[in-house]
Amino acid sequence: MSNRLSGPERRESILAAAQGLFAGKGFHGVSVDEIARAVDVSPAILYRHFASKQSLYDAVLEEFSCQRQSYVDTIVNHGTRFEDALAGMTQVYISNIAANPDILKIELHSLLEGNPATLAFFQNRWKSFTDYIEFGLNEFLPYDIPNREKTILSAGLMFQGMLREALIQKCLQPQDRLIDLSLYELSNELVTLFLRSIGINKTQLSRKATMTG
Amino acid sequence: MSDFDSELDASGLNCPLPILRAKKAISALEAGQILKIIATDPGSVKDFEAFCKQTGNELVSSGEENGKFAFLIKKAA
Repeated sequence: MSNRLSGPERRESILAAAQGLFAGKGFHGVSVDEIARAVDVSPAILYRHFASKQSLYDAVLEEFSCQRQSYVDTIVNHGTRFEDALAGMTQVYISNIAANPDILKIELHSLLEGNPATLAFFQNRWKSFTDYIEFGLNEFLPYDIPNREKTILSAGLMFQGMLREALIQKCLQPQDRLIDLSLYELSNELVTLFLRSIGINKTQLSRKATMTG
Repeated sequence: MSDFDSELDASGLNCPLPILRAKKAISALEAGQILKIIATDPGSVKDFEAFCKQTGNELVSSGEENGKFAFLIKKAA
Protein backbone atom coordinates (compact mmCIF):
# COMPACT_ATOMS: atom_id res chain seq x y z
CA MET A 1 0.00 0.00 0.00
CA SER A 2 2.76 2.41 0.93
CA ASN A 3 4.18 2.03 -2.57
CA ARG A 4 1.15 3.82 -4.00
CA LEU A 5 1.98 7.14 -2.38
CA SER A 6 2.76 10.04 -4.70
CA GLY A 7 6.18 11.69 -4.52
CA PRO A 8 5.06 14.58 -2.28
CA GLU A 9 3.03 12.21 -0.08
CA ARG A 10 6.02 9.95 0.29
CA ARG A 11 8.19 12.91 1.19
CA GLU A 12 5.65 13.99 3.82
CA SER A 13 5.46 10.51 5.32
CA ILE A 14 9.26 10.31 5.57
CA LEU A 15 9.39 13.75 7.20
CA ALA A 16 6.71 12.82 9.73
CA ALA A 17 8.44 9.58 10.68
CA ALA A 18 11.83 11.26 10.88
CA GLN A 19 10.46 14.01 13.10
CA GLY A 20 9.11 11.48 15.58
CA LEU A 21 12.32 9.49 15.64
CA PHE A 22 14.61 12.53 15.95
CA ALA A 23 12.36 13.80 18.76
CA GLY A 24 12.67 10.52 20.60
CA LYS A 25 16.36 9.81 20.12
CA GLY A 26 18.10 12.90 18.79
CA PHE A 27 20.03 13.24 15.55
CA HIS A 28 22.76 10.75 16.45
CA GLY A 29 20.39 8.18 17.90
CA VAL A 30 18.58 7.56 14.62
CA SER A 31 19.87 5.92 11.44
CA VAL A 32 18.60 6.38 7.91
CA ASP A 33 17.78 2.66 7.83
CA GLU A 34 15.57 3.06 10.87
CA ILE A 35 13.65 5.96 9.31
CA ALA A 36 13.26 4.02 6.06
CA ARG A 37 11.92 1.01 8.00
CA ALA A 38 9.43 3.21 9.84
CA VAL A 39 7.81 4.23 6.55
CA ASP A 40 8.29 0.82 4.97
CA VAL A 41 10.57 1.90 2.14
CA SER A 42 14.12 1.01 1.20
CA PRO A 43 16.93 3.44 2.11
CA ALA A 44 17.41 3.92 -1.66
CA ILE A 45 13.89 5.37 -1.94
CA LEU A 46 14.52 7.60 1.05
CA TYR A 47 17.70 8.93 -0.53
CA ARG A 48 15.69 9.83 -3.62
CA HIS A 49 13.87 12.40 -1.49
CA PHE A 50 16.65 13.43 0.89
CA ALA A 51 20.33 13.34 0.00
CA SER A 52 21.50 12.56 3.53
CA LYS A 53 20.38 12.19 7.13
CA GLN A 54 21.52 15.77 7.67
CA SER A 55 19.37 17.11 4.84
CA LEU A 56 16.39 15.17 6.17
CA TYR A 57 17.00 16.62 9.63
CA ASP A 58 17.30 20.11 8.15
CA ALA A 59 14.00 19.59 6.33
CA VAL A 60 12.35 18.60 9.64
CA LEU A 61 13.64 21.83 11.21
CA GLU A 62 12.48 23.80 8.18
CA GLU A 63 8.93 22.61 8.83
CA PHE A 64 9.13 24.26 12.25
CA SER A 65 9.88 27.71 10.95
CA CYS A 66 6.34 28.49 9.81
CA GLN A 67 5.46 30.43 12.95
CA ARG A 68 6.86 33.63 11.44
CA GLN A 69 3.62 34.29 9.63
CA SER A 70 1.79 34.11 12.95
CA TYR A 71 4.21 36.66 14.44
CA VAL A 72 3.45 39.03 11.59
CA ASP A 73 -0.29 38.47 12.16
CA THR A 74 0.17 39.17 15.85
CA ILE A 75 1.92 42.45 15.20
CA VAL A 76 -0.58 43.54 12.55
CA ASN A 77 -3.66 42.63 14.56
CA HIS A 78 -2.62 43.48 18.11
CA GLY A 79 -1.57 46.74 19.62
CA THR A 80 2.03 47.77 19.44
CA ARG A 81 2.33 48.18 23.20
CA PHE A 82 5.26 46.26 24.64
CA GLU A 83 3.14 43.98 26.79
CA ASP A 84 0.52 43.27 24.11
CA ALA A 85 3.05 42.22 21.52
CA LEU A 86 5.02 40.17 24.07
CA ALA A 87 1.86 38.39 25.21
CA GLY A 88 0.84 37.82 21.58
CA MET A 89 4.22 36.40 20.62
CA THR A 90 4.17 34.17 23.69
CA GLN A 91 0.77 32.79 22.67
CA VAL A 92 2.05 32.04 19.17
CA TYR A 93 5.12 30.29 20.56
CA ILE A 94 3.34 28.12 23.10
CA SER A 95 0.52 27.19 20.69
CA ASN A 96 3.16 26.13 18.23
CA ILE A 97 4.92 23.87 20.77
CA ALA A 98 1.69 22.58 22.33
CA ALA A 99 0.53 21.48 18.88
CA ASN A 100 3.86 19.81 18.17
CA PRO A 101 5.93 18.98 21.28
CA ASP A 102 8.45 17.23 19.01
CA ILE A 103 9.93 20.69 18.35
CA LEU A 104 10.80 21.03 22.02
CA LYS A 105 12.18 17.50 22.24
CA ILE A 106 14.41 18.07 19.22
CA GLU A 107 15.56 21.37 20.72
CA LEU A 108 16.53 19.68 23.99
CA HIS A 109 18.39 16.90 22.17
CA SER A 110 20.20 19.49 20.08
CA LEU A 111 21.45 21.28 23.20
CA LEU A 112 23.38 18.16 24.19
CA GLU A 113 24.42 17.17 20.70
CA GLY A 114 26.00 20.53 20.05
CA ASN A 115 25.60 20.74 16.27
CA PRO A 116 26.34 24.44 15.61
CA ALA A 117 23.76 24.83 12.81
CA THR A 118 21.00 23.28 14.87
CA LEU A 119 21.90 25.25 17.97
CA ALA A 120 21.80 28.40 15.86
CA PHE A 121 18.39 27.43 14.50
CA PHE A 122 16.85 27.13 17.97
CA GLN A 123 18.75 30.07 19.39
CA ASN A 124 17.35 32.11 16.54
CA ARG A 125 13.80 31.16 17.53
CA TRP A 126 14.43 32.49 21.04
CA LYS A 127 16.16 35.54 19.65
CA SER A 128 12.75 36.84 18.58
CA PHE A 129 11.95 37.17 22.28
CA THR A 130 15.34 38.25 23.55
CA ASP A 131 15.70 40.91 20.83
CA TYR A 132 12.23 42.15 21.55
CA ILE A 133 12.79 42.33 25.31
CA GLU A 134 16.23 43.89 25.04
CA PHE A 135 15.02 46.48 22.60
CA GLY A 136 11.94 47.28 24.66
CA LEU A 137 13.85 47.59 27.94
CA ASN A 138 16.50 49.69 26.30
CA GLU A 139 13.77 52.15 25.34
CA PHE A 140 12.04 52.52 28.66
CA LEU A 141 14.42 51.59 31.49
CA PRO A 142 15.77 54.75 33.12
CA TYR A 143 19.37 55.44 32.11
CA ASP A 144 20.61 55.88 35.64
CA ILE A 145 19.75 52.45 37.04
CA PRO A 146 22.79 50.48 38.16
CA ASN A 147 24.01 47.67 35.86
CA ARG A 148 21.57 48.72 33.18
CA GLU A 149 23.22 46.75 30.37
CA LYS A 150 23.47 43.59 32.44
CA THR A 151 19.87 43.90 33.58
CA ILE A 152 18.70 44.18 29.99
CA LEU A 153 20.70 41.16 28.84
CA SER A 154 19.63 39.07 31.83
CA ALA A 155 15.97 39.92 31.36
CA GLY A 156 15.91 38.32 27.91
CA LEU A 157 17.51 35.18 29.29
CA MET A 158 15.10 35.12 32.20
CA PHE A 159 12.14 35.18 29.88
CA GLN A 160 13.56 32.44 27.67
CA GLY A 161 14.31 30.18 30.64
CA MET A 162 10.90 30.77 32.18
CA LEU A 163 8.96 30.02 29.04
CA ARG A 164 11.04 27.02 28.06
CA GLU A 165 10.63 25.48 31.51
CA ALA A 166 6.87 26.09 31.43
CA LEU A 167 6.73 24.27 28.10
CA ILE A 168 8.81 21.38 29.44
CA GLN A 169 6.58 21.07 32.50
CA LYS A 170 3.31 21.23 30.59
CA CYS A 171 4.16 19.50 27.31
CA LEU A 172 6.78 16.91 28.17
CA GLN A 173 6.31 15.88 31.77
CA PRO A 174 2.87 16.94 33.01
CA GLN A 175 3.05 17.50 36.77
CA ASP A 176 0.16 16.85 39.10
CA ARG A 177 0.80 20.04 41.01
CA LEU A 178 0.33 22.11 37.86
CA ILE A 179 -2.74 20.22 36.72
CA ASP A 180 -5.16 23.05 37.49
CA LEU A 181 -3.14 25.51 35.48
CA SER A 182 -3.40 25.32 31.69
CA LEU A 183 -0.35 26.10 29.60
CA TYR A 184 -2.02 29.36 28.56
CA GLU A 185 -2.81 30.39 32.13
CA LEU A 186 0.67 29.44 33.22
CA SER A 187 2.30 31.49 30.46
CA ASN A 188 0.06 34.48 31.20
CA GLU A 189 1.02 34.31 34.87
CA LEU A 190 4.68 34.08 33.94
CA VAL A 191 4.49 37.04 31.57
CA THR A 192 2.86 39.08 34.34
CA LEU A 193 5.51 37.99 36.84
CA PHE A 194 8.21 38.82 34.34
CA LEU A 195 6.85 42.32 33.78
CA ARG A 196 6.66 42.87 37.53
CA SER A 197 10.14 41.51 38.10
CA ILE A 198 11.77 44.09 35.88
CA GLY A 199 10.47 46.68 38.30
CA ILE A 200 7.63 47.98 36.22
CA ASN A 201 4.00 47.23 36.86
CA LYS A 202 1.74 46.49 33.93
CA THR A 203 -0.08 49.81 33.95
CA GLN A 204 3.12 51.76 33.93
CA LEU A 205 4.52 49.57 31.18
CA SER A 206 1.55 49.96 28.88
CA ARG A 207 1.84 53.71 29.12
CA LYS A 208 5.58 54.04 28.76
CA ALA A 209 6.74 51.10 26.76
CA THR A 210 5.24 51.76 23.39
CA MET A 211 8.19 51.54 21.09
CA THR A 212 9.15 54.25 18.73
CA GLY A 213 10.25 53.67 15.18
CA MET B 1 16.83 63.81 -3.45
CA SER B 2 15.91 60.63 -1.66
CA ASP B 3 13.02 58.50 -2.81
CA PHE B 4 11.73 57.92 0.69
CA ASP B 5 10.47 60.08 3.55
CA SER B 6 11.71 58.16 6.56
CA GLU B 7 14.25 55.43 7.20
CA LEU B 8 14.36 52.60 9.69
CA ASP B 9 17.42 50.46 10.31
CA ALA B 10 16.40 47.07 11.67
CA SER B 11 19.78 45.41 11.05
CA GLY B 12 20.55 42.50 13.34
CA LEU B 13 17.00 42.25 14.67
CA ASN B 14 14.86 39.15 14.50
CA CYS B 15 11.25 38.80 13.49
CA PRO B 16 8.88 40.26 14.57
CA LEU B 17 10.83 43.28 15.81
CA PRO B 18 11.50 44.79 12.33
CA ILE B 19 7.77 44.45 11.53
CA LEU B 20 6.77 46.02 14.81
CA ARG B 21 9.12 48.94 14.37
CA ALA B 22 7.97 49.40 10.77
CA LYS B 23 4.35 49.46 11.90
CA LYS B 24 5.17 52.19 14.40
CA ALA B 25 7.19 54.17 11.87
CA ILE B 26 4.45 53.95 9.23
CA SER B 27 1.83 55.15 11.68
CA ALA B 28 3.82 58.38 11.98
CA LEU B 29 3.76 58.95 8.20
CA GLU B 30 1.14 60.65 6.03
CA ALA B 31 -0.70 58.61 3.39
CA GLY B 32 1.46 58.27 0.27
CA GLN B 33 4.72 58.81 2.13
CA ILE B 34 7.41 56.14 1.87
CA LEU B 35 9.34 54.36 4.60
CA LYS B 36 12.65 52.70 3.83
CA ILE B 37 13.58 49.73 5.99
CA ILE B 38 16.97 48.02 6.17
CA ALA B 39 17.07 44.51 7.63
CA THR B 40 19.53 41.62 7.81
CA ASP B 41 17.17 38.76 8.64
CA PRO B 42 16.59 36.80 5.37
CA GLY B 43 13.08 35.92 6.57
CA SER B 44 12.19 39.61 6.55
CA VAL B 45 11.55 39.43 2.78
CA LYS B 46 8.53 37.19 3.28
CA ASP B 47 7.56 39.00 6.48
CA PHE B 48 7.27 42.36 4.77
CA GLU B 49 5.34 40.85 1.85
CA ALA B 50 2.86 39.40 4.35
CA PHE B 51 2.80 42.62 6.35
CA CYS B 52 1.95 44.74 3.29
CA LYS B 53 -0.66 42.28 2.07
CA GLN B 54 -2.39 42.45 5.43
CA THR B 55 -2.13 46.15 6.09
CA GLY B 56 -2.86 47.36 2.55
CA ASN B 57 0.34 49.42 2.46
CA GLU B 58 2.20 49.13 -0.81
CA LEU B 59 5.51 47.28 -1.02
CA VAL B 60 7.14 49.55 -3.59
CA SER B 61 10.36 47.58 -3.72
CA SER B 62 12.13 44.74 -2.00
CA GLY B 63 15.70 43.76 -2.72
CA GLU B 64 19.27 43.43 -1.57
CA GLU B 65 21.47 46.43 -1.00
CA ASN B 66 25.08 46.19 0.20
CA GLY B 67 24.52 42.69 1.55
CA LYS B 68 21.43 43.74 3.49
CA PHE B 69 17.73 43.68 2.63
CA ALA B 70 16.05 46.94 1.74
CA PHE B 71 12.33 47.61 1.49
CA LEU B 72 10.34 50.64 0.43
CA ILE B 73 6.80 50.75 1.79
CA LYS B 74 4.27 53.40 0.78
CA LYS B 75 1.61 54.15 3.38
CA ALA B 76 -1.92 53.42 2.15
CA ALA B 77 -4.47 56.22 1.91
